[in-house]
Amino acid sequence: MEPSEGLMEVSVIGGYLGAGKTTLVNHILRQASERVAVMVNDFGEINIDQALIDSRSENTISLTNGCICCSLVDGFVSALESVTSFRPRPTRLVIEASGVADPGAVAAYGHGPGLALDAVVVVTDATRLSEQIADPLIGQTVASQIVSADVIVVNKIDLVDNLAVAKSELGKLNPDALLAYASHGEVNLDLFFGREIARTDRPTGHVGMFESRTHESTKPISREAFEVLVENLPQEIQRVKGIVRLTEAPHVAMVFQLVGRNWELRALADRQNSPHGNRLVVIGPKGSIPMEWDNALRSGN
Amino acid sequence: MSNESVEIFTAKRIITMSPALPFAQAIAVRGDRILGVGTVDDLSQWGDYELNEQFKDHILLPGFVEAHSHVMAGAVWEFPYVGFYDRADPAGRTWLGCQTIAAVVDRLAECERDLTDPDQTLLAWGLDPIFLEGERLVAKHLDQISTTRPIFVFHASGHLATVNSEMMRRSGIDRHTPTPGVAKDVDGEPNGELQEPAAMSLAQGGLSAIGIAMMSPNAKWNYAREARNCGVTTIADLGTTRLALDGQLEAWRQATDDANYPARVVVAFGHFDISLENKDSNPMVSLAVRLRDEEETAKLRFGIVKLVLDGSIQGFTARISWPHYVNPPPGHPGNGLWLIPPEQMADIVSSYHEAGLTVHCHCNGDEAAQVFIDAVETALQRHPRWDHRHTVQHCQLTTTAQYKQMAALGMNANIFSNHIFHWGDQHASTTVGEERAAGMDACATAEREGVKFSVHSDAPITPMGHLHTAWCAVNRLTASGRVLGPEERISVAKALEACTIDAAHQLKLDHDIGSLEAGKLADFAVLEEDPFEVSPEELKDIPVWGTVVGGISHVAGSK
Repeated sequence: MEPSEGLMEVSVIGGYLGAGKTTLVNHILRQASERVAVMVNDFGEINIDQALIDSRSENTISLTNGCICCSLVDGFVSALESVTSFRPRPTRLVIEASGVADPGAVAAYGHGPGLALDAVVVVTDATRLSEQIADPLIGQTVASQIVSADVIVVNKIDLVDNLAVAKSELGKLNPDALLAYASHGEVNLDLFFGREIARTDRPTGHVGMFESRTHESTKPISREAFEVLVENLPQEIQRVKGIVRLTEAPHVAMVFQLVGRNWELRALADRQNSPHGNRLVVIGPKGSIPMEWDNALRSGN
Repeated sequence: MSNESVEIFTAKRIITMSPALPFAQAIAVRGDRILGVGTVDDLSQWGDYELNEQFKDHILLPGFVEAHSHVMAGAVWEFPYVGFYDRADPAGRTWLGCQTIAAVVDRLAECERDLTDPDQTLLAWGLDPIFLEGERLVAKHLDQISTTRPIFVFHASGHLATVNSEMMRRSGIDRHTPTPGVAKDVDGEPNGELQEPAAMSLAQGGLSAIGIAMMSPNAKWNYAREARNCGVTTIADLGTTRLALDGQLEAWRQATDDANYPARVVVAFGHFDISLENKDSNPMVSLAVRLRDEEETAKLRFGIVKLVLDGSIQGFTARISWPHYVNPPPGHPGNGLWLIPPEQMADIVSSYHEAGLTVHCHCNGDEAAQVFIDAVETALQRHPRWDHRHTVQHCQLTTTAQYKQMAALGMNANIFSNHIFHWGDQHASTTVGEERAAGMDACATAEREGVKFSVHSDAPITPMGHLHTAWCAVNRLTASGRVLGPEERISVAKALEACTIDAAHQLKLDHDIGSLEAGKLADFAVLEEDPFEVSPEELKDIPVWGTVVGGISHVAGSK
């Protein structure tokens, strides 16, 4: 790595065969607003519009939007070498784990030289989840994958009537993971790119039908006032993430994560480099993001 | 008629493994093939000959066929050995085992002095800390050898490496390195032990150097020399995904085309796990077919596809049926790992099966074996095909019911008998418990149920050597000296079939090798003593003179 270059953030996409990992990877390649490198087992599955292909070699495809695909057929370390030597250097690496792999084990590579692990994303098939977890052959494999997840994409929700069962199964296995619901793998990439937001400083903008807005202020806010703010969020808001400072302990940067109705507030692990003040990114359908957040954060009540 | 001259070899006894003429005194060779077997008198009917009596005090057998080993067995000898047991290298030199940390350090210090480039990494292999008493070998021990040269010591398990401080400095491994598997001491400093590939790959020029060595011509030559030293004339490199890349096919051709290359090699195409839409969407089939149809030579064979379905028993990653593992480590999830989704197996097996290829599938656990056997049954229902010889590899916990099903489906087994000696005690105490350990690697059951089987070393996992592997199948003695599962012992004759004709059968080469009879290739194992004359306990101790491959003799231990 050249000293002037930043770390490449690593996202691992796991999940059992048929859950929709490749669909999600295709979605990422179409929607990415940064230079993404994806590492996949098989090019054949990646559905790239011929018009988008800039150049192609045996194990690498370069796209006109700056993204690259790299095949894992020649081994993980070799693929990693081609990705990190690619210029201009990708800012994000997305690794598609095999359908039986433990994505947590794959994520161990995400701390290599020049890399920073961002999140383990596990895709599950909402129509088959309970059946798969109960299966004597594959139950343990599916459960282990779910346990490794930071973010779980509950996919194919258009095909199920009631998500309560899936949600309860996932909650039992991994209560800490953030749940994101999707059909056809279509999720807002801000839901899991840049989960450790304290490290990132990328512009936010429109992604598909969603919009993102960043709220920044300097004064700490009381825990009670903040919780009221969160509880009163409109239903349409899918995702909020960022750093807040509470009046109860203003020297501690707290990471706030919200997906759907689940949210968490915890101290930032890396206190030395924590950002000052409050910085929250709110994501929701266009027009749904409340303006009062700015005022509330600034008032500090 | 050919003008090539006829050479008649005489021997103390020739064990042919051909039921029609099991024993003989002489064998005639023309070119690379056997002209006939019998007495010198019988063979003189083929005309003029040259009598070769160099083996008159030796025993000749069909060259042993090692149907499951890896070219890495040759690659590791690019680097010094620091394992616990004595081990012979391809040149025949015995490396004494390093039985203390001090011995490991002394061996490495000696090798370090031979390196001229001060920046060259010192690599070594074979370390097995389980056997070393006292404290564990860590970076500070390796720092005694050099504080300026990086050192990387690869463990026998393949899962760990230990490096010195200079390697950590150059690779940026420090107390802040978050990678799981970077072992740290009580003060939070890394102690030099790197666990599993993600952590090992942080050490620059470590694992990758071993990968490069595996592709080298020297590895291919050393692999065949190791085979020659133990009487093996055909070796499988069972499963490589690199076959189509980096000029590896050409490199294999170049090595094996050399008349002095002392082995035939079956390079099995390694299936790479991708999620198939269906059995007709497997892009790897055409490559495997092309290799078989267009690239074969007398000494380089294809046609086998290798799948890996589960992990290892001693690593607690094999898929075994209930009641699973008897004494797994804390935090173990209960059962092992799948390396291919089980419900894809029928389509994957069908894709190769319908192309006429033979599928060899790594199944250590019985649950994995069942998934593979059922996949073969589905493939046969979809596409009936006779004499496919699909083979369960390792076959360590395969049950009687499974052997019956395999027999009915025409499947073969390759049984990992060396496990009885190397890990049998641990299997009884820790992995699968007494009853299942006694029934592991069940050669007698395979024989009784009518499944053709071979036995193997999986070199470099255990050292190559069919006399040792046969000894394991015949005696079932563990490292501690107990007989594990006496009911599963087989006769010396059956074990020799497993090492010759039946191993050739599962590689679909028994028309060419595996027994000594007219028309077959002139491949012999040349032994100093008769395996039917020594006691079964001494089978492994029979000295090997060397081999004959295609009529050319190769003495053990030579360059």
